[in-house]
Amino acid sequence: MVALQLDHVFKQYGEKTAVNNISLQVEQGEIYGLLGANGAGKTTTMRMVLGLIYPDGGDILYHGKPYSNELTRVMGYLPEERGLYPKVKISDQIVYLARLRGMSKQDADKSLRYWLDRFEVPEYYDKRIEELSKGNQQKMGFIAAIVHKPQILILDEAFSGLDPVNVELLKATVKELRNNGTSILFSTHRMEHVEELCRRITILDRSNTVVQGDIKEIKGRYPREEVILYTQGQVSRLDSIPGVKAVEAVEQGYHIHINTPDTAQLILQHAMAETTVERFEIKEPTLNQIFIQEVGESHE
Amino acid sequence: MNNTLGTIIGFTYKNKVKTKSFLITTLVLAIIITIGMNIPYLIKQFSGGDDGKAMQIGLLYGSQQETAVELEKYAAASGNKDYAFVKYEGGTEDQLKNDVKDGKLEGYLKFEEDPADMAFPKVVYAGEGDISQGLNTYLQGALQNVKTTMITKDSLTAEQIAALNKPVSLSSLDISDDAKANAGRDTEKNNNQKIMNYIIVYFLMILFFSSNMMTGNMIAAEVTAEKSSRIMEILITSVSPLNQMFGKIIGIFLVGITQIAVFGVVIAANVMLPNNVGMLKEFHLSLADINLSVLIYGLLFYIFGYFLFAVLYAAVGSIVSRTEELGQAVMPITMLGLITFYIGIFSINTPGSMLIKITSFIPFTAPTSMLVRIGMGEVPVWQILISLALLIVAILVFGWLSAKIYRTGVLMYGKRPSFKELRKAMKAYKI
Repeated sequence: MVALQLDHVFKQYGEKTAVNNISLQVEQGEIYGLLGANGAGKTTTMRMVLGLIYPDGGDILYHGKPYSNELTRVMGYLPEERGLYPKVKISDQIVYLARLRGMSKQDADKSLRYWLDRFEVPEYYDKRIEELSKGNQQKMGFIAAIVHKPQILILDEAFSGLDPVNVELLKATVKELRNNGTSILFSTHRMEHVEELCRRITILDRSNTVVQGDIKEIKGRYPREEVILYTQGQVSRLDSIPGVKAVEAVEQGYHIHINTPDTAQLILQHAMAETTVERFEIKEPTLNQIFIQEVGESHE
Repeated sequence: MNNTLGTIIGFTYKNKVKTKSFLITTLVLAIIITIGMNIPYLIKQFSGGDDGKAMQIGLLYGSQQETAVELEKYAAASGNKDYAFVKYEGGTEDQLKNDVKDGKLEGYLKFEEDPADMAFPKVVYAGEGDISQGLNTYLQGALQNVKTTMITKDSLTAEQIAALNKPVSLSSLDISDDAKANAGRDTEKNNNQKIMNYIIVYFLMILFFSSNMMTGNMIAAEVTAEKSSRIMEILITSVSPLNQMFGKIIGIFLVGITQIAVFGVVIAANVMLPNNVGMLKEFHLSLADINLSVLIYGLLFYIFGYFLFAVLYAAVGSIVSRTEELGQAVMPITMLGLITFYIGIFSINTPGSMLIKITSFIPFTAPTSMLVRIGMGEVPVWQILISLALLIVAILVFGWLSAKIYRTGVLMYGKRPSFKELRKAMKAYKI
C-alpha cells in the first residue's frame, strides 16, 4: 500500500526552480531515502510533503488522498534545525506538541516516558532543552517527532551531529518503527546510513532527480569497474591487459580499475598463471561512488 | 480543532506566568504600588504628630486675649484632633522658643496689634522649618472664622454665621444636543460621579496603553522566537495558524489580566489597611459613585482594542526572523498605540471636540476616544454601538489578514520580505 505519493511535484522560488518534477512513492513500512548535496531541494520537498509550503505543480497524495488538516495527526516531522522551545521543560513541551496533534494528555505523557526510558534518559523529563548537549537535544526532537505515533514520518538529517552510539540507537529505533508499519521519508547526505536503512532512494542534484529506484537495481545499473586481487606473489604487467584503466598496488595485492566486466576474467587468468590467488572480487559500486559520479560530474 | 485552541492558550499562559522575568516584574511593581499608596501615611508618621497625638501649637497673645480665646473655642467646636492650641498666659517668647526646641510644641502663633487694621491683630506663625500645607490651611480657616465671629460680635445669630461661612456651591448643567438626546439619563451629573468617571477613564486609558505595549511586545517576541527556533515548522504542521495565533494572543492576554488582577488585589488590600481607610473619604469619594455603564463600556473597548492591536503585533512578529530586528519592526504599531493614547489623554477635558468625535469611530483610536466621550461627555448609545461594531469588524478583518501574514511570514527566513512577495505568498496559503 502506498502511504505517500509525489507525482511530478514542482516548486519555484522566484526565478529559481527549487524542485523540478520529482515523483516518488513511499510504501507503508518503508524507509525512503532522499539524497542530495546541500541545496539540492531535499528540505523543500519535505516541506511540501508536510504541507508547510505548496507545490507550484504536481500532486502529493497521502494514502491516496490529497492534503487535509486531519493529516497533522498522522504525520511526524523532525526538522533539520531542532524545533523545540529552549526554555520550556521537556515534558511540558513534548506533551504539548503531542496534544496539538490530537493525543490525550495521559497518552502523550505515557508515550513520552516510554521513549525516554527507551533512550535511557528518563531524568530528562524535568529538564529544559537548553540544559542538554546538542546531540541530546536532537534525541528529544526525535522523540517529539514520533511521540504521537505517526504513520508518516519525515526525518530531515536525523543523524547529523550524533555520536556513533546514538546513531546506532536512532537507527535501531527507525528500523523498529518501519517494522511496525510507519512510512518514513528520510533525508541525509551520509550514504552509509542509506545503504543500511533504505530500500529505495532518490538522488537530487540542484533540484533535478538524477538517480532513482531500488538500491540494488541502481547498483546493478552501474558497471562493476573495480577488481580486488590479493595474491601471494607479484603479478607482473597487469596494466598491459586490455581494458585495464589503472592499477593500484596495496599491501596484500592490487586494486584494479577496469573498463568492462569482461576484463576481470582476463585479470584472473593472468594472475593465476603467475601466482596463487588468495582473494578475487569484482566490487559493486558503493552509493558514495554513484553519488559522487552523478552529482560530482554535473558540478564540473 | 477547538480543543487545540484551549491547549495553546493553556501552554502559552503557563509558560509565560512561570518565567522569572514575569514573576520579578509583577513583584517589583506590586511593591512599588504598596509603597506609593502608603507614602502619605508614612510622611505623616515621620513629620511629627507621632502616636496620633495632636500637634501642639502655642499661643502667645499678650494683649490680644480675646482672639486667643475665640481660637480655642473654635478649635474645640470644630473637633479637629490633629492640632491643639496651648495658651501661654503671660509667657515670654523665649519660653515658647525653648518649648519648640524641646519638641513640646510644633510651633506657636504670635498675636500683635496691627496699626493698620484695628479689627484683627496681625498673626505670625513661628516654628522650625516651613509651615506645612495642612497646618497653614487649618490655621487660615480657623483665623478667618475667628475674625468673622469677632467682627460681627453678637449682631448675627450662630445660624447666620454658619450660613456665611458655608462655601458657595456651583454645579453645572449640560444643555447640549447630545445631552438632550439622553434626556432619559440623569443629565445633571453628580459632581462626585464626574470625578469618579474621570478617574475610571484615566485609569482605563493608562491600562489600555501599558498593557498594549507590554503584552503586544510579548506576543511579537514570542512569535519571532518560535520562528527563529524553527519550532514554528512543527506548530504549523500541527495546528491551523488562526488557532495558533489566537491561542497565543488570548494566552498572553490572560497573563496580562493576571498581572492586573494581582495589582488590583494589592491596591484593594492597601486601601483596606487601617491607615488608608479614610483615604477615599477624605476625597469625598465612595465606590458607590462608580458609573457602571462607563466601566462596562470601558472594559469592552479595552478588550476589543487589545485584540485589534494584538493581531497586528503577531503579524509583525511573524515577518521578522530575528529578535534583534523586532524593535524596529514593531515601531509603526507602537506609534499607533501612542497616538491613540495621547488623543485620549489630551482630550479628556474636551470630550465634545471634533477630533474626538471622528477618532471615536476609527477602530484603532476608538478604545480611548469613545471612552472619553462615554465617561466625560455625552454620547448617544447608537454611536457607541456603531463604534463597537466597527471595532469588531476591524478585529475580524485584521485578524484574518494577520493570520495570512502569519502563515506566510513564519516560513520566510533571511531578509524581510517585500510587500509584493508577501502578497503573492499570502494568496497561496489557506489559514
